[in-house]
Amino acid sequence: MRAAVAPQADDLILSVREVKKHYPIREGALQRVVGHVRAVDGVSFDIRRGETVGLVGESGCGKTTLGRVIAALADPTDGGVHYSMDGEMRRIDRLEGKAAQTFRRNCQMVFQDSFASLNPRHLVIDLVGRPLKVYNEAASADLVERVVELLEQVGLGRQHLFRYPHQFSGGQRQRISIARALALNPEIIVLDEPTSALDVSVQAQILNLLNDLQKERNLAYLFVTHDLSVVRHMADRLVVMYLGKVAEAGETQAIFDSPHHPYTRELMAAKPDLEAEANVEIRGLEGTVPDPARPPQGCRFHTRCELATSACGWEIDDIVRWLEDAPGMFEHLVGVERTSEFAAELAFDNEEAAGLLSMAVRSEQVPEAMRAAMRRLNLDGTKVEIEFEDVGEVELTVRDDGRMAACVLTPEEVASWKNS
Amino acid sequence: MTDVQQSRIAAGAMTADTAFRVRMRRLFGVLQGMASNPATVIGLVIIALMLVMAIFAPWLLEPNSPDPYQMPRDWGAVRKPPGTPGHPLGTTNEGGDVLYGVIWGSRTSLQLSLMVVGSTMIVGTIVGSIAGLVGGWVDEVLMRLVDVFLSIPELIFALAIAAVLGPSFGNIILALAVVLWVKYARIMRAQVLQIKQHDFVDAARVIGDSKLNIYLRDILPNAVTPVTVQATLDMGNVVLIGATLSFIGLSEAGIAEWGVLVSEGQAGIASGRWWASTFPGLMIFLWALAFNLVGDGLRDALDPRTEGR
Repeated sequence: MRAAVAPQADDLILSVREVKKHYPIREGALQRVVGHVRAVDGVSFDIRRGETVGLVGESGCGKTTLGRVIAALADPTDGGVHYSMDGEMRRIDRLEGKAAQTFRRNCQMVFQDSFASLNPRHLVIDLVGRPLKVYNEAASADLVERVVELLEQVGLGRQHLFRYPHQFSGGQRQRISIARALALNPEIIVLDEPTSALDVSVQAQILNLLNDLQKERNLAYLFVTHDLSVVRHMADRLVVMYLGKVAEAGETQAIFDSPHHPYTRELMAAKPDLEAEANVEIRGLEGTVPDPARPPQGCRFHTRCELATSACGWEIDDIVRWLEDAPGMFEHLVGVERTSEFAAELAFDNEEAAGLLSMAVRSEQVPEAMRAAMRRLNLDGTKVEIEFEDVGEVELTVRDDGRMAACVLTPEEVASWKNS
Repeated sequence: MTDVQQSRIAAGAMTADTAFRVRMRRLFGVLQGMASNPATVIGLVIIALMLVMAIFAPWLLEPNSPDPYQMPRDWGAVRKPPGTPGHPLGTTNEGGDVLYGVIWGSRTSLQLSLMVVGSTMIVGTIVGSIAGLVGGWVDEVLMRLVDVFLSIPELIFALAIAAVLGPSFGNIILALAVVLWVKYARIMRAQVLQIKQHDFVDAARVIGDSKLNIYLRDILPNAVTPVTVQATLDMGNVVLIGATLSFIGLSEAGIAEWGVLVSEGQAGIASGRWWASTFPGLMIFLWALAFNLVGDGLRDALDPRTEGR
């Protein structure tokens, strides 16, 4: 599916199109590929000149992997990142020679761990001057002046030239990283959780610095973070990711005013809001993120969603997962014979356990939505036949207000739950 | 030339100088760390004395002609005890001066250890780097080769090679080199695999630096610490193994080498002529001990947990 209408080429810098990044899972002595971790599973969005796009989600949702693909540190398995060059959109993993260099210079990155991303054996002048040396932009005396200029732009100075990274505080080190990223005067910087390792007060300073630099240089940022409160005031637009897919995308303010996806809503609630009244109960996302090698059918969030309906993609895996926590049944389960992701025959070693299951899935022990999605339930001796409604993947679609969300519910339905 | 240009050139010279001084201070910090450990200092002093002895051998004792690395034979004074005029540490069964063997033997040992450690470190570092950087089947093939080498005990392997090549000191060097490079290959590969995961390597890729530059500037300098420590330890071990091979007769007889001397003298120990084996044996012991002490000290001083943090 293509996301939205193609924006005007002249202010577009990067266009991410259906990017997938799958990592093979290998097993055994022959290292046979037994499956794929779908870290990023088809994501599209655009980044325009001078804007900040926030890429948010829990850890493990694929946001960092996607950031690395966009910075050309990893090649996509499928789809591609297109870079605007001479009025043309070109795939970055197919660029060569001078064109590759142009992209390389114009897309820089700042990493989360400032200590790990600065070579401990290099002095600040080596670290910040290195990009200039790589492209022969400055030699000895000039280099010093250029590096000092860059350091001054990030609030450091000449006195820091000949120090090692370990002689700085975390915030200062991140400033050095930013100075290095600025050295080649890029169009866009991928910021991978640049403030997550910092104290809150230092976080604010770095965010202010990034804001100022953006205004001065008309920089675009891709701000990758798990922390919605950080991007709230930074990002113009948000892309919310869940398990390798986009759950919701749109203007930051609009999303904060009324999230169209229950996941976004939960993510916002998971963070204590300092502006809200005190004593507000902090709710968090319940359950764990499912295995990205076997993402859930339908909507990937249905396993944890409080709003899940019968149309959200209930499947055999949900039954098996539920059984794992069901004493008296799971230990008697001897086999699951699937005819599809949605239909299977569960075999037990005794009739009692089979009977228990067929009763349980009819009762309130399982979510109502799961019961509603069940098309067939057959108890046959020691075997239980279960079949759910076959539901396709829930796609990201444009809503009435022009925003995009991947949810079977309408924005009104999500909003009403929010208020209840 | 304008004033600005001149001041910029001056600034450039000043920076190179400052950067150099800062780097020296860091190196000095490592030395200081080593100096704070008394065992390391003892090792360093022993090594220094050995080096002085090796360098000034021709001035300490007149070199034997035509080949100074052959033991001079004084057939008029065989089996003399220490204290004999002209032979302060006594002589061997064949009239070899034990003091000559001790002093010129330090040159032989230095030669042996430098050549073996130098060559194995270079070969091992290159092989390990290729395995770690390229990966895939290249890594697989190289590492299985290393496994084969490591599955045979060092001493026995070296002994077999030296025996096949025939008894000579040169062949001992060759045998040890063939056996010992694998250790460096394995250490280096592990280091490269670990360091290439570091964010600073990705940071260099984002800048667009070349693969060679990333290897030379980011990976190699951060990988050499354990290799350096292993090399220091091996400087001692090599002499120990070399002496063992010499002792069992895989070196040519009559050369000024500590292992050969121990071998020559061992027959006399039962008859009370302890000196011919003891003095060169002591030198082997001190040499191996000193480099082990310094190697351990170096490891502590370069420990990433303490270094630079």
